[in-house]
Amino acid sequence: MAAQTAVSEVDGANGRLIYRGGYLIEDLAPVANFEETAYLLWHGELPSRSELDALRHEMVSARRLEDAARATLAAMDPETDPMDTLRTVLSAQGATKTIAKPSAGEAVALTAAIPTIVAGAYRRRQKKDLIEPRDELGHAANLIWMMEGQEPARERVHWLDQYLVLLADHGLNASTFTARVIASTGSDLTSCVVGAIGALKGPSHGGATYAARTMLDSIGTVENAEPWLRDAHARHARFPGFGHRVYRTYDPRAKILRELAKTADPKRHQVAAHTEELALKILHDEHPERPNATNVDFWASVVLTGAGIPKELFTCIFATSRVAGWTAHVLESEEDLRIIRPASVWTGPAPGKKPLPVEQR
Amino acid sequence: MAEYVPGLEGVVAAQTEISLVDGANGQLVYRGYVIADLAEEMSFEEVAHLFWYGRLPTRAELDGLAAQLSESRGLTGAASTALDALPRDADPMDVLRSIVSVQGVRHRLEKPSLEQALHATASFPTVLAHFQRRRHGLEAVKPRADLGHAANYLYMLNGKESTPELVHALNTYLVLLADHGMNASTFTARVIASTDSDMASCLVGAIGALKGPAHGGAPSAVLEQLEQIGTASNAERWMREARMRKERFMGFGHRVYRTYDPRAKILKGLCARLNPEFYELASKVEETALAILHEEHPERPQATNVEFYSAGVLQAIGLPKDLFPPTFACARVAGWSAHVLEQAAHNRLIRPQSEYVGPEPRKPVPLAERG
Repeated sequence: MAAQTAVSEVDGANGRLIYRGGYLIEDLAPVANFEETAYLLWHGELPSRSELDALRHEMVSARRLEDAARATLAAMDPETDPMDTLRTVLSAQGATKTIAKPSAGEAVALTAAIPTIVAGAYRRRQKKDLIEPRDELGHAANLIWMMEGQEPARERVHWLDQYLVLLADHGLNASTFTARVIASTGSDLTSCVVGAIGALKGPSHGGATYAARTMLDSIGTVENAEPWLRDAHARHARFPGFGHRVYRTYDPRAKILRELAKTADPKRHQVAAHTEELALKILHDEHPERPNATNVDFWASVVLTGAGIPKELFTCIFATSRVAGWTAHVLESEEDLRIIRPASVWTGPAPGKKPLPVEQR
Repeated sequence: MAEYVPGLEGVVAAQTEISLVDGANGQLVYRGYVIADLAEEMSFEEVAHLFWYGRLPTRAELDGLAAQLSESRGLTGAASTALDALPRDADPMDVLRSIVSVQGVRHRLEKPSLEQALHATASFPTVLAHFQRRRHGLEAVKPRADLGHAANYLYMLNGKESTPELVHALNTYLVLLADHGMNASTFTARVIASTDSDMASCLVGAIGALKGPAHGGAPSAVLEQLEQIGTASNAERWMREARMRKERFMGFGHRVYRTYDPRAKILKGLCARLNPEFYELASKVEETALAILHEEHPERPQATNVEFYSAGVLQAIGLPKDLFPPTFACARVAGWSAHVLEQAAHNRLIRPQSEYVGPEPRKPVPLAERG
């Protein structure tokens, strides 16, 4: 084991995800929005009305980009992978004079600034001007506002917000672990989050939602699900959106997203439900000993699509959520900092080989 | 289920053939070669070739690599713009992290490649030299293709060629620090690579880890402590008093070596030749520190770490203190990138377990009912 944590627990055997304070994800999602969830992860308890108002105020005032971050965003090729834009602009946003010990205030500031960068990357891809944040809008609503310049329908905000709550933390996954390794050297919070973004970018981690959506697009219709999956299976291709290491039962987040998908995107839900049924059957026929393997990415791709998020932003939206968990883990690890330096097994040649001078090689 | 191991000490997280830290015997080995056999003989370019290709280059290969590196030193337009936009008083590690990130942007995900390893390694010194010039209101100096990696870095910093002696010292430093087993920044790079992410993301993460004072940040602290001690004759009194105040001696202590760090030994020799004033004070402080530490913990090994004499070497070269950690990054990027390529070639997602220490499940209270 690489850490002790009270931020979240993935109880794979029982199919439970527990957030800080002991809340099961299915109990929390109906009562808390993203801001409340972030507060919970940072402080260990859900906020009161006045604590929540104070947090909202703090987040609103941290949404705007620093001049250096703005200039960096403006200098980047509009076609850049949005995750590269996010990694880079957030790094510039956090470039400071001295190294500061990670603090809750910084966690709020980084969390608040990410949607501005994500929307900025999107607007640039669309060759459109950036849109300033709107102070009276909450975190999810303001993100869509900055992307589109129109206030979104309440349902869309709800779907996006639910996604942000569900993905905000998940034990010691690769990006969270990256953040904790970086924190272990006494580095600053921006470095931790920027490193975590780099890890989340990997297709084996945050990129899976995009892959699931691409698969559903390619399947297209209910009728096409079976031939598509059989063909992919015959080619030994993996089914994006299926398979995970930790849950032995149905992922509790996928379950909530599957319900939301019915209203968020009814047409795609139909195709997805049929695809899921067939995919699970094919996987079960092959490995009956393995558990049901629908992962969160599969149904997240449908809900985010219903919320009107373009698929090239999926991984960035994942980061928009997970930053709450990353920063909570870093703050937690600060309490007992010890550099993470594992061992490795040497598989190279025996030591002591004498180097030849270049002219004799 | 496995026990929680703080710091993952002793937990095997990877297989590698790039470098071996044999702490028991006080050896650092690069792909089979003991560091003492490489340090003052090889150019940084040769060691980078050793890491990336698995063997030392022939003359033709070395010339080829040197040419590729010198062609890859420039910054992209976006990187130059971003560099100009960053605050002049920003921590150079933040500047390096940001500009390496800009330099590495792509339209879509690319697998880590040797070419990217080379490009990144070639451009780190350019980022630092340009920033150093800019914050002093000086024009950036274009890289010179006829100069080697170390010589060109100093040329871009100072606008003039350095003496062969200083170039040799910087080259030796770069060779010595180029890799060191599964340290925190290298491990960071490998964890990021394990998600099938790209080279730039791995390097940017590693820079962030190296920024931590417990990893790359101690050299400036060493100089500051020496400045406070002031003179060799003051060392004993100052240090005993510091100990009473429970202060740490900067540049001492490491996890892995049970004998004298082989890199520190070589750097100590360089210091004696290049920076006699530093050496006189530092060697006395070292002697005193080791004596006090031995009195306190006779069972522990001699603990001078690589940062201690690095400080004297980098000072002699003329680097400002806040460029010590990013210059460390200029060395280590050769190792980081080699580890990323190695990880990508035999990949499995690194996702360790954690032990939950929070409360048992309970029900949340809706906002309206909270106090």
